[in-house]
Amino acid sequence: MSTTAPPAPLSRRRLLQLGGASATAIALGIDAPAAQAEPLPHREGLFSLGVASGAPRPDGAVLWTRLAPEPLAEDGHADMPLRPVSVRWEVATDEEFGQIAARGTALAQPELAHAVHPRVEGLDPATAHFYRFRVGPQTSPVGRFRTLPAEGTAPDAFSIGVVSCQAWYHGHFTAHRHLAAEEELDLVVFVGDYIYEYGITSANLRRQGAEVGPAHEVETETLEQYRLRYSLFKSDPHLQALHARVPAVAVWDDHEVQNDYAGETSSTGISAEMFVHRIAVAYRAFYENMPLDLTALPEGPDADITAGFDVGSLARISLLDTRQFRDPAPATEEEQQAQERTMLGAEQERWIAERLTDSPATWNVMAHGVVLVPITEDRVDMWDGYPAARRRMLAAMAEADNPVMLTGDIHRHVAAEIPSDPADPGSDPLGVELVCTSVASDGDGAPTDGYTEDWVQHDYVKLYDGRRGYLHVRLSAEEMVSSFWVVDWIEADDTAPKQLRARFTTPAGDPRLIPA
Amino acid sequence: MSPRPAVVTGLAAEPALATITLTWDSLGFDPLIDHYRIYAVEGEAAPARPEESSLLAKTVYPRLVHDGLAPAGETWSYRILAVSDGGTRGEPSAPITAASQPSVTATGVPVATIGEFDGRTLEHRFAPSSYSRIPEEHPEALIEYRDGADEPGTAWPYLLPGPGDAWAGRTAYRARWSLTLEAAPADDHDLAVWLVDTTRLGGILRISANGEHVTDLELPAGATRGSREGDATVPGSTLRRCFFEPAIPAGLLQAGENTIELELAEGGWAAWDAVGLYARG
Repeated sequence: MSTTAPPAPLSRRRLLQLGGASATAIALGIDAPAAQAEPLPHREGLFSLGVASGAPRPDGAVLWTRLAPEPLAEDGHADMPLRPVSVRWEVATDEEFGQIAARGTALAQPELAHAVHPRVEGLDPATAHFYRFRVGPQTSPVGRFRTLPAEGTAPDAFSIGVVSCQAWYHGHFTAHRHLAAEEELDLVVFVGDYIYEYGITSANLRRQGAEVGPAHEVETETLEQYRLRYSLFKSDPHLQALHARVPAVAVWDDHEVQNDYAGETSSTGISAEMFVHRIAVAYRAFYENMPLDLTALPEGPDADITAGFDVGSLARISLLDTRQFRDPAPATEEEQQAQERTMLGAEQERWIAERLTDSPATWNVMAHGVVLVPITEDRVDMWDGYPAARRRMLAAMAEADNPVMLTGDIHRHVAAEIPSDPADPGSDPLGVELVCTSVASDGDGAPTDGYTEDWVQHDYVKLYDGRRGYLHVRLSAEEMVSSFWVVDWIEADDTAPKQLRARFTTPAGDPRLIPA
Repeated sequence: MSPRPAVVTGLAAEPALATITLTWDSLGFDPLIDHYRIYAVEGEAAPARPEESSLLAKTVYPRLVHDGLAPAGETWSYRILAVSDGGTRGEPSAPITAASQPSVTATGVPVATIGEFDGRTLEHRFAPSSYSRIPEEHPEALIEYRDGADEPGTAWPYLLPGPGDAWAGRTAYRARWSLTLEAAPADDHDLAVWLVDTTRLGGILRISANGEHVTDLELPAGATRGSREGDATVPGSTLRRCFFEPAIPAGLLQAGENTIELELAEGGWAAWDAVGLYARG
């Protein structure tokens, strides 16, 4: 599990584990102080997939870009030459780049689809920074990030955007457009389904004005297909604007690999011995396309995308992986209820329990793919399919001040007070769960639908809405304010205005959702 | 730069009805293999160098099912190479040649059939996705189909539900097929049972003729998608077809009315492509 303590930008131990050729390639993608690469013949549009930052810390962040003059080239290499290219980066405290705070060089290599992930260090905490990349005469768009507050300090507030389920083909990323324009925004959390693996055909292409070629019509399986799928989704200008606006952290859910997969178990009957090959390329493409730290680089089909960091003494944030280590869907009621059944795996369970128990923070925020609170027993892909694991999770959460669970997956806005005893719906709440709706999946949507009653039958569920949108969470020492924004349409175009569907206040020390 | 992928070794071919399944040794994860490229030419001679025009498929798995082969049988020769994460191609494997097994649907004389042997459920009742109608229309978990009187579109539901299907009452459904023979056959017949998909549970399809048990067909785990999609021949389809052609001993058949029963004794639904009884030609 990744720890709060920042590892060295390039852990020697980690590299030694990787073995010769890959270690060198990966190292240079992060830091290549004296990179010797042939200059690239002039190409327009190297930065067509935008820029991003992530893995924020008090002294820096990871920067990301992927060189892609032809992002939809079918071999996944975006028409880049199959050789390394030097990428210079610089970070400044002003938008004109007059006050340079750090600069460096990374090597974009074909092994990582010409993505670079330099880690910037040595910056001042709680400070706004601007960054950009250069290749030859070309300069990327400018991105922004704010370093986290120094350890032990207490910022006035910290604001988090939460998004999920961006089925590009179901509509426009209007939610991203509005979120990127939020005045108060320090971080965006992607809680899963950043891409979808399904073939894109006339049967599901609801994004009006969009067309895709035959290479997109089949379900993704090879590395080139996953790379191409990221390129397609990341070509959206609103998603790029959001990434340029704030640092991003991300966990995956199922569709980054395959619908409803669990551990090494495919949902379509592919044997584990075969399926691990697909997991390996899918996880790799996730790393290549996200602003992730080196700790998230997969080794074959194994990866560690868990991460944790503190926002001063205000909040401790923990990102959980609820896909890679889970048991398969239960075949019987008995199996569903088994005590040993796991969602996180033993090691991750211990890790999050320790983080919660040891936390000095006012707010303890966790983010992952699937809904925690009990809804119906047949929703076995959510924690409802893992009741014993949920009891252990709730027990761990009860050890921390003000636990907050951020999830997605269901394409609906839901807000719930988490009952401390799932067997007793009237028990005192121990924290709150905020479920963000999809950015695009399921198209336009409607406020209510055939599933509404399943959710609102529970008194502890305080909100249900089936439209597209995003969630904005503002944390301060006194309270958390959660705002659920929706848009009425996304299929026709990206012009829908945003509407505030609900806003709740949660006082520190009082885990309730009070309509604001 | 990551190294060039190694040469694919361990290439083996398993011939079956209308398919040839190729397997080879995984090249592992370092370098990460983007995909394997399978080159195929019909006949027994593989070209010295693979040509892009003979690219049959790309797959991330060290396994490929070459399906959709003609029921009469086809012979193909294959070479495979790997492509790394950096886009570097390895040298092609040694070639291998294999012939698919001929199907009785090509070699036999049809006595009676239900549906077309075409990789699709679409001609059957309630296809491709109205499976919830099946328990409504067949509350006794029995499907009865009379050759010469019934049609697939009105009398043969596209799925046969099984005990693993909660939506169908967790019941072993039986499909009872009545057909008339003019005379008692002198030779054994063959029963072609082609499926477009099954569920992740797999199952047992129990075959009997005139009340006598013939065989239990062990259904492999499928993609669990044939309940919602009806065409396994669409490029990139994830449906998992399977084929069975067990013999029906001549002694179990008789002049006049015969009943062949197919019961899904264990597992989840089977999605029909077609069923046919064939005399040996």
